[in-house]
Amino acid sequence: MLSQEIQYFITGLSIGSVYALVALGFTIIHTVTGIVNFAQGEFVMLGGMVAYFLFRFIGLPLWAAAPLSIAAVTVVGLLLQRIAIRSARQASIVSLIVITIGASILIRGLVGQFWVWGREAVRLPYFTGEQSLSFLGAAVHPQKLLVLGITIALMVLFHLLLSRTPLGKALRACAINKRAAGMVGVDARAMSLFSFGAAAALGAVGGILIASQAVTSYDSGVMLGLKGFLAACMGGLSSQMGAVLGGLGLGLLESFGAGHISSAWKEAFSLSVFLLFLIVRARRLPASEVEH
Amino acid sequence: MKLKGIRLKWSYLVIVAAVAALAVVPLFANRYYLDIAIIIGIHTMVTVGLCLLMGYTGQISLGQAAFYGMGAYFSAILSKTYGVSPWAAMFIGAAVTGGFAYSIGIAVLRLRGNYLAMATLALGIIMNIVFTEAASFTGGQDGITGVPYLSVGGLVFDTDRGYYYLVWAFCLAALLVSRNIVSSRTGRALRAIRDSESAAESIGINVLQLKAKVFALSAVYASLAGSLLAHYWAAVGPKPFDFLFSIKVVVMAVVGGLASVWGAIFGTATVKILGDWLHEFGEYQVIAFGLMLMIVIVFMPRGLWVHLRSRVLQWQRRSTRRAES
Amino acid sequence: MSEPILEVRGLTKAFGGLVALDKVDLAIRPGLITAVIGPNGAGKTTLFNIITGVYKPTEGEVTFQGRSMNGMSTPERVRLGIGRTFQNVLLFKEMTVLENIMAGRHGKSHVGFVDAGLRLPNALREEERISLEAIRLLNLVEQGMHADKLASDIPLGQQKLVAIGRALATEPKLLLLDEPGAGLNAIEKRGLSDLMKRIRDMGVAVVLVEHDMDLVMRTADWVIVLDCGRKIAEGTAFEVQRDKRVIAAYLGEDAEQRYAAG
Repeated sequence: MLSQEIQYFITGLSIGSVYALVALGFTIIHTVTGIVNFAQGEFVMLGGMVAYFLFRFIGLPLWAAAPLSIAAVTVVGLLLQRIAIRSARQASIVSLIVITIGASILIRGLVGQFWVWGREAVRLPYFTGEQSLSFLGAAVHPQKLLVLGITIALMVLFHLLLSRTPLGKALRACAINKRAAGMVGVDARAMSLFSFGAAAALGAVGGILIASQAVTSYDSGVMLGLKGFLAACMGGLSSQMGAVLGGLGLGLLESFGAGHISSAWKEAFSLSVFLLFLIVRARRLPASEVEH
Repeated sequence: MKLKGIRLKWSYLVIVAAVAALAVVPLFANRYYLDIAIIIGIHTMVTVGLCLLMGYTGQISLGQAAFYGMGAYFSAILSKTYGVSPWAAMFIGAAVTGGFAYSIGIAVLRLRGNYLAMATLALGIIMNIVFTEAASFTGGQDGITGVPYLSVGGLVFDTDRGYYYLVWAFCLAALLVSRNIVSSRTGRALRAIRDSESAAESIGINVLQLKAKVFALSAVYASLAGSLLAHYWAAVGPKPFDFLFSIKVVVMAVVGGLASVWGAIFGTATVKILGDWLHEFGEYQVIAFGLMLMIVIVFMPRGLWVHLRSRVLQWQRRSTRRAES
Repeated sequence: MSEPILEVRGLTKAFGGLVALDKVDLAIRPGLITAVIGPNGAGKTTLFNIITGVYKPTEGEVTFQGRSMNGMSTPERVRLGIGRTFQNVLLFKEMTVLENIMAGRHGKSHVGFVDAGLRLPNALREEERISLEAIRLLNLVEQGMHADKLASDIPLGQQKLVAIGRALATEPKLLLLDEPGAGLNAIEKRGLSDLMKRIRDMGVAVVLVEHDMDLVMRTADWVIVLDCGRKIAEGTAFEVQRDKRVIAAYLGEDAEQRYAAG
């Protein structure tokens, strides 16, 4: 019984780590540009898919396929910012949402249509080999611990980057006031570009890590994006720590919940929790405290 | 003033011409084109609802498929399983869906921008899971077949031609009602909310309630459209009411112009015809939708329809000026 | 003196640790133009936002015509007769000037989705009435020539007058004007001053928050001075100008400003 619970716990943490990485991506773009990138989930899907392509079809070893995939997805993130976001200067929030949604279904469509294996779901082998460890009677796969470790390391890295470095200061300055930042010599466009690149890279890491535990397919980006957004909301869309804790919490909730609720309704359940969370959060805000 | 008068006459002329064209379509079109025209009529109703919500009130929804599906399933379940008359099923469905949307709206429409988009996206996905998984009511993946046809007196709408007129009567009614609302006291209040919620409250507009009402209206439109679809196909299943349809509605509204009632027909028709054409080559639809969303919003934020129309007006003005001088 | 139309008692508003208003008592009387002045951060706009129901007070009470308004929403307060303008104007910028004023008639008209959607006779009649009333108000604020222009296309000074017209369209008994003079030139300010007096003479209690002392002295019948969230003085413009605490509060700020500028 205990071993079962430990199993749930470890699985929850590792799935939650991936949500946390998606959430980190959301917070970085949002902190710097105020934009919520609806294509964030597609970066994750793309990361897994590209890595699989390099591994299975080109025949690269995993240790080479992973960084190449991250680099490729980063380029996609940079292109999204350069081509779409930058062209829509002074766009309203609704317009920016529509643009990133456009990008999201464009990526999904391209992968669904042109990828070598069409619409099959894919799965990568574990980085740490197929052997699992025994821990208090539970079979724990070392990769799950690796995933958690990588996530926490990335969170700490980004937190330090934003709070301790000159680059971080510039990024945060853009978040507070773009024009003022420009006047003191911060290139807001470069910062925006950087945030999209970083978010894409984080998404790709998440995608590669999850592709070895759960299957990835061209249409898995939407749910990953939604769950990552939920995790990010828990930290108010601006805290790295909050995003990671939110992601891990959500992963645990799902993992323990999966045993008790049928798996088909599982998604409906977690989305309902998401809706409730948003509604309760909105109730705490006065109706017209802020004017956009 | 004179210019305005001329333009007004023009727009009436265009409307009359459009209605006349719509009326004669079935005399020439074969089954294939008639089917496309029917679907365009049905989808236009969903689109114009989103235009009221998104273009005029400034509130985004990425979950319109939920209400479209609710209408279809209410019609199918009530009329097939419980033997309710199809018309009653359709209007009960619309009323329940509208009430549901209103109560969800009161809770969710406190959210702004990004949060509202995510919340409605989640709502759409939840409802699609319900359609798929509540199999004892909805028939699961297989859906429900043998949904009865609509009929008036002895006239059964089981032919495409008859159904075409029925659908377009509904669609034009929805468009006219929307146009009337937009230029009324309520329409001004909606646009006031879009431009500044604080200022709207300061002149006594109950912002949250009005947002919820227009959300409910968009849901009623979508629900009626869903019912029309169910009685047309005589079958329902979860697939046409998925996440991608919600996005497709956004594409149709954006292409037609978010704040343009008549643009809704144009946007819907463009997306439907282009989508079907692309479908012959493979699944290029989704790619095209993604590109269209980005291109139209970046280069023609008011929509392709409004963009083209203002081009035509500009050209007209220039040519009249040339004629005068 | 007449009964106050609005009374504020023991009003405190804290944002986290920051106290914006600290146990403020004041009364607004009908038939007068009351100016609320004070250095930046004195709590003037916060006071407006509490009176209109945008913020909830931390402590204290606001009564309007003897009735407590605690817990009332902004639209409910508008219905009772409280109108306002905003520091940053906030016209509906994608609507015409006339439509902006017509929107102001919202609370005084009734046609809803169904009547409007079906263009029922009562909807058409009401629409006609609304536009006539709006034209009358537009002429009152002397902006009739801009009726069909987009609100964002007219100069700021005139936008501010339109905003006053929009607030008047709600038929307020109490009109709160948040820095109506900011950004206006001398001629426009004189016009504004006359307009405020005309509104007062229509029987509306006018309250303005203003930094321009000339405008205040020329227009206000009664002046209330706030500093750091407290009321430090009130009286006629003449009295207040000679109040030691007021001079100290303003001198302090002036000195700081001169320092910052130099």
